[in-house]
Amino acid sequence: MGEDTDTRKINHSFLRDHSYVTEADIISTVEFNHTGELLATGDKGGRVVIFQREPESKNAPHSQGEYDVYSTFQSHEPEFDYLKSLEIEEKINKIKWLPQQNAAHSLLSTNDKTIKLWKITERDKRPEGYNLKDEEGKLKDLSTVTSLQVPVLKPMDLMVEVSPRRVFANGHTYHINSISVNSDCETYMSADDLRINLWHLAITDRSFNIVDIKPANMEDLTEVITASEFHPHHCNLFVYSSSKGSLRLCDMRAAALCDKHSKLFEEPEDPSNRSFFSEIISSVSDVKFSHSGRYMLTRDYLTVKVWDLNMEARPIETYQVHDYLRSKLCSLYENDCIFDKFECAWNGSDSVIMTGAYNNFFRMFDRNTKRDVTLEASRESSKPRAVLKPRRVCVGGKRRRDDISVDSLDFTKKILHTAWHPAENIIAIAATNNLYIFQDKVNSEMH
Amino acid sequence: MVGGLKRKHTDLEEEEEDEKWNWGPAGLRSYQQALLRISLDKVQRSLGPRAPSLRRHVLIHNTLQQLQAALCLAPAPVLPPEPLFLGEEDFSLSATIGSILRELETSMDETEPPQNPVAPPGPQNEGLPQPDPVFLEALSSRYLGDSGLDDFFLDIDTSAVEKEPALAPPEPPHSLFCAPGSWEWNELDHIMEIILGS
Repeated sequence: MGEDTDTRKINHSFLRDHSYVTEADIISTVEFNHTGELLATGDKGGRVVIFQREPESKNAPHSQGEYDVYSTFQSHEPEFDYLKSLEIEEKINKIKWLPQQNAAHSLLSTNDKTIKLWKITERDKRPEGYNLKDEEGKLKDLSTVTSLQVPVLKPMDLMVEVSPRRVFANGHTYHINSISVNSDCETYMSADDLRINLWHLAITDRSFNIVDIKPANMEDLTEVITASEFHPHHCNLFVYSSSKGSLRLCDMRAAALCDKHSKLFEEPEDPSNRSFFSEIISSVSDVKFSHSGRYMLTRDYLTVKVWDLNMEARPIETYQVHDYLRSKLCSLYENDCIFDKFECAWNGSDSVIMTGAYNNFFRMFDRNTKRDVTLEASRESSKPRAVLKPRRVCVGGKRRRDDISVDSLDFTKKILHTAWHPAENIIAIAATNNLYIFQDKVNSEMH
Repeated sequence: MVGGLKRKHTDLEEEEEDEKWNWGPAGLRSYQQALLRISLDKVQRSLGPRAPSLRRHVLIHNTLQQLQAALCLAPAPVLPPEPLFLGEEDFSLSATIGSILRELETSMDETEPPQNPVAPPGPQNEGLPQPDPVFLEALSSRYLGDSGLDDFFLDIDTSAVEKEPALAPPEPPHSLFCAPGSWEWNELDHIMEIILGS
């Protein structure tokens, strides 16, 4: 890292009762808004929690504002598909913020099937002195109204209101894995296992199918879409990743249906590493454009890769996240961990990348210095405002005092979802039902 | 302080042994068969009230296909492989997968009675559909309810399974399997026996 990793400290951690973890409390997505002032999390219970960064304190101007709960609302409810006799989970798969265009904030949240547009507004004044309504809003007896008065706005405690604005339903047969707002700020796309749809943010009753990889016969199906994202600057470009490890860049100017990609990014398989699990571990679990739009970051089971949009043959950088698991793939297949979908994130300047791992570990890679670090998000080893110590996983041989053996890793503690503040070195880490927010101490002292 | 020591070493020693395969022909084959067992187990257990992950299913399916290819190509081991399937020649891998998948199909279709309960009485251990289409059609039925699925199973008589569950009490697992694991083996064996006409 440009800054020393052990200077990182905990800014704030939101820890629910550790001994009482329900499935519904497990965080399933984390997303900063475009300014970094707000941070939204979604969970398996269909709830969205929004955190707001407190303004800097006047008494301590050098201290960074901390994130506090701003609003909580139930975004999705469990449903039942009576035609197929299947439950539809309320779990929030993804949240995406819309660029702010007025005082209100807006976000899209999605479960497996339905995308919803939410508007978040603040209210700190309320009208008083209506002529025909009393304080509780009931109609007055007209015979008691003897004079007219002008209603006035009176200050009140700040209230955050969240209201559903649009519901984009019935667009997907399979499970939605990604949503992405276009840089034109008018459209967004949603991707499921086999199709990608393009929606207008104001129109809920129709969407355009822009990718469809469903074969005529499902027996021919060997590949699914795993993630998709719009280019941050060119509204005609988007990328989608597949379970076979490839990336396809599509240009919507070429055709209305982008089944034929413009560019195919694929790395030839290394024959020396070939095994029955080659395809599973090469399946891309997340793809993110860099802020500059020049690069793409992908995560597969064991590595994170940086691709240059101008080079399709291979990634320009490959970082090993937890290569020590290569010898454990059979066990990880048996216990299903091999299908975990780890996400990845860029820092604000595209110089550092971050991704999660097991045992509540997460990894950071500095692209310039090629340094990497393993950090741990855990309640046991970190207290508020503590400094994070780098961790090390040892694979046999010499073991230092604080090292952890690869055989002691806890595979139930996995960090799948991470987010990086768009401009500052503040990161949000979802560890099961806990959200950790870490920030860079050096950076804050420079302010 | 090491904060993450969650498991004792004794557990790990056993797991380590899993990794150290004897890569002789027999060892390789038993490894492949272990993977096969795990894969089929995953297919079996993925049935639930919710639509399963298509990504996971496709990846397992592709792995199964690779295993199938490898097991067909692999030379017969000198010693009979110990675990799992004591594969008789007439009890092919395809038939194994196919029968299990049909069992899954039966359980999935319980809300829809078969269109043709009086199925053609053809020999049921012949002309079985290939496992792969069955598998993926099963998947598609969970997602789309694609039509055409029923056509696939017109020649399979599931009425015996549905109507007479008590007439043929499950026999104890015989030589087909020797590692009962977590499956509902009795039910599975019963269905296999029907399919194989035994």
